Amino acid sequence: MKKILMVNPQLCTGCRICELVCSLSRDGECNPLKSCIRVLKLAEEGIDIPGVCQQCETPLCADVCPVDAISRDLDTGALIIREEICVGCRACSMVCPYGAITMDISKRIMIKCDLCGGDPKCVKFCLTKALIYDRPEVVDALRQESALRSLVRPLLKSREKATPTKEKKK
Amino acid sequence: MTYGWMGTILRVNLTNERITKEPLDKQIATKFLGGRGLNGITLFRELKAGIDPLSAENVLLFGMGPCNGTLSLGSGRYNITAKSPMTGGFGDSNSGGFWGPELKYAGYDQIIIEGKAEKPVYLWIDGDEVEIRNAEKLWGRDTFETEQILKEELEDPRIQMLYIGQAGENLVKFANVMTGLYRAAGRTGMGSVMGSKNLKAIAVRGNNGVQIAHPDKLQEAALKAYDILYSDWFAQLFSEEGSPCLVNIYNNQLGALVTRNFQAGVFEGAEKILGKYFDENYKVANKGCFSCPLHCGCFYMIKEGPFAGLRWGKAEFATIINFTSRVGVDNIEVALRAGILTDKYGIDLISMGGVLGFAFECYEKGILTAKDTDGLKLEWGNGDAVLELVRKVVFQEGLGKILSEGVKRAAEVIGKGSEDYAIHTKGLEHIECDPRGLQAWGLGYAVSSRGADHLRALPAFEYTISPEKAKELYGTEKAADRFSTEGKGKMVKWFEELRAFADSMEICKYITRTGLLFPEPLVEMLNAVTGMEYEPDDAFKIGERIVNVERAFNVREGFSRKDDTLPKRFLEEPLMEGPSKGHVCDLEPMLDDYYKFRGWDVKTGLPTRAKLEELGLSEIALELQKMGKIPPEKKTRLEKK
Repeated sequence: MKKILMVNPQLCTGCRICELVCSLSRDGECNPLKSCIRVLKLAEEGIDIPGVCQQCETPLCADVCPVDAISRDLDTGALIIREEICVGCRACSMVCPYGAITMDISKRIMIKCDLCGGDPKCVKFCLTKALIYDRPEVVDALRQESALRSLVRPLLKSREKATPTKEKKK
Repeated sequence: MTYGWMGTILRVNLTNERITKEPLDKQIATKFLGGRGLNGITLFRELKAGIDPLSAENVLLFGMGPCNGTLSLGSGRYNITAKSPMTGGFGDSNSGGFWGPELKYAGYDQIIIEGKAEKPVYLWIDGDEVEIRNAEKLWGRDTFETEQILKEELEDPRIQMLYIGQAGENLVKFANVMTGLYRAAGRTGMGSVMGSKNLKAIAVRGNNGVQIAHPDKLQEAALKAYDILYSDWFAQLFSEEGSPCLVNIYNNQLGALVTRNFQAGVFEGAEKILGKYFDENYKVANKGCFSCPLHCGCFYMIKEGPFAGLRWGKAEFATIINFTSRVGVDNIEVALRAGILTDKYGIDLISMGGVLGFAFECYEKGILTAKDTDGLKLEWGNGDAVLELVRKVVFQEGLGKILSEGVKRAAEVIGKGSEDYAIHTKGLEHIECDPRGLQAWGLGYAVSSRGADHLRALPAFEYTISPEKAKELYGTEKAADRFSTEGKGKMVKWFEELRAFADSMEICKYITRTGLLFPEPLVEMLNAVTGMEYEPDDAFKIGERIVNVERAFNVREGFSRKDDTLPKRFLEEPLMEGPSKGHVCDLEPMLDDYYKFRGWDVKTGLPTRAKLEELGLSEIALELQKMGKIPPEKKTRLEKK
């Protein structure tokens, strides 16, 4: 089963190391504008969300590309833009639900995450595990667990509070 | 200079609105790296001795380092440097956030701001295009509002900003410069220098990348450095609790936590201001600055009570202590609210804590009465008075006007023996750590180029390493004993070199705090970024050179050994209880030791010609000679013969 790259905004500290290592390994420079992953910062609320291609099962970007520059890598499942074919028309960027396809402003072509050929650098450098790369069912289980745990947090909290008080009364 | 450095310095004259771009001098960059080091030598060259720090003659420097904006650890820092209105000497402050890297992406290693604008302005740097814009609508606004208004005006979420608040506009001497909403270049009053130039903000957007000489090596070096960093218990704790974890260390373990203006070293109400308490009750998320694996920033929210919903992106050890134990308050929410106020007003919360502690003690001793305070009862523990006095200082109302000059000048105005309670060195207030329980810290405070400051030395090894390691590094096992004065001269020198080097690469101090990354891993990263071939020994040399330049700047302004001192309280009044009970700071023997290792004149504390020339600083030796601060060359030669 192909692995997917999943984002957990709750664990993201907003440090942007993912942006740096992405552009560094792709282009030999540290430049957020050449990175295929970008962190949206909502500073007032203390929320950071890395935006990165989710390699959609039905890729709108590939469908809309007028020159068929986007195709799927059969080994990793990543959708790859072929530089030599891309005409920089930005159609893919318009339909991407994550805004995860951007223009390389020096090469004037579109760039997107290619999962680094199956070993995504951003995941390797993410110290809080806000980015994980695993099989979909594993990722789903992790997501579900974390979501349900936060759902029952008030219940758990009430127990924490209840127990010691009773003991004290005895 | 293709790798690491961007190669361009931006010079902006606010008086005649001239904007020029100059090439970065490669030799200077090699010798001083960037950031603090580059700013130091620039300030020495640009200024004459004796100018008024708040006049148009002062320059305001913003310095980036070769590693800023790269994968190098904690590479989001930058330095602001000018002559300080607090000390009258070398003024300098370092901040994290995201502004420094963006300025690199815009193509610059340094900004030099000269002169003074006629009306309030802000600087808009959009890559190559640089514009001085009207900021009258921003004047009078706090930093939060300024961020919102400029974000709307410039319409791009990527834009990074720094700005001053009302404190800087009002020329409060210890006003800071805020970097984005939550990070501050806090110390030595850089915000009031910016305010004196009528410069409200600098907004930046860049499109370039920082070119890396060895991309693979940089990745390897970064991964290795993460491992070293996290092998340290301290870093692990920091990554979870942030700097509030220090409350426990300084209060419970060291007994060296400022309590009621340093009347004591342990605070009886510490339980509810501990990092753990903050973590469990207020923290919402860990946040990091640019390229930081430590992410010590704590986004917090008050969840219950009349202030429920109040939230902010940063609470530090300093935020908590300066508004709690320093003024006898045991309610952490007072500190969280005061922290938000000081960030919004744009004022250094450490100096603010210093003036509050001073005022409260003067009130206790009867030197100040309700008449002097407009009825405010400055009684230890009065949280409402703390918050109101913060506001009065920023807007310079009543007693606040006097306090807005810092404790040194405030004590001169108030008199009546209040000098004894003005806790400062060279006019700058001390941080929260009591040097009676940490001898090397005392030495660090005394000799720091920017006044009572912990970050020039930050000799963390004093209480973290084994006696064996201490012997290996500093020649004596006693260096690991925090009450001993032995080995501390060498230790402080060693740490000052490390801090100066890291500040000039522009790597965060908390990343390098315990010294585990110095020098090899840092040099490895620097070489991977720049393609230079620095040796570990060069790191010490560069650090030493920077320390000497800053020293020379202060010497030119009239400072000498007599100014390298501590308040009487630390030297003469032993701590009465806790783990540091019975101790004072025994400064003089450490000073002798320190000057000796520095190769400076032990009697005067002035750098010697031999040392300056050894470091390639002949121009500085010549200038000090012209001022009569060091003897002419011929004499020295004759003496040798």
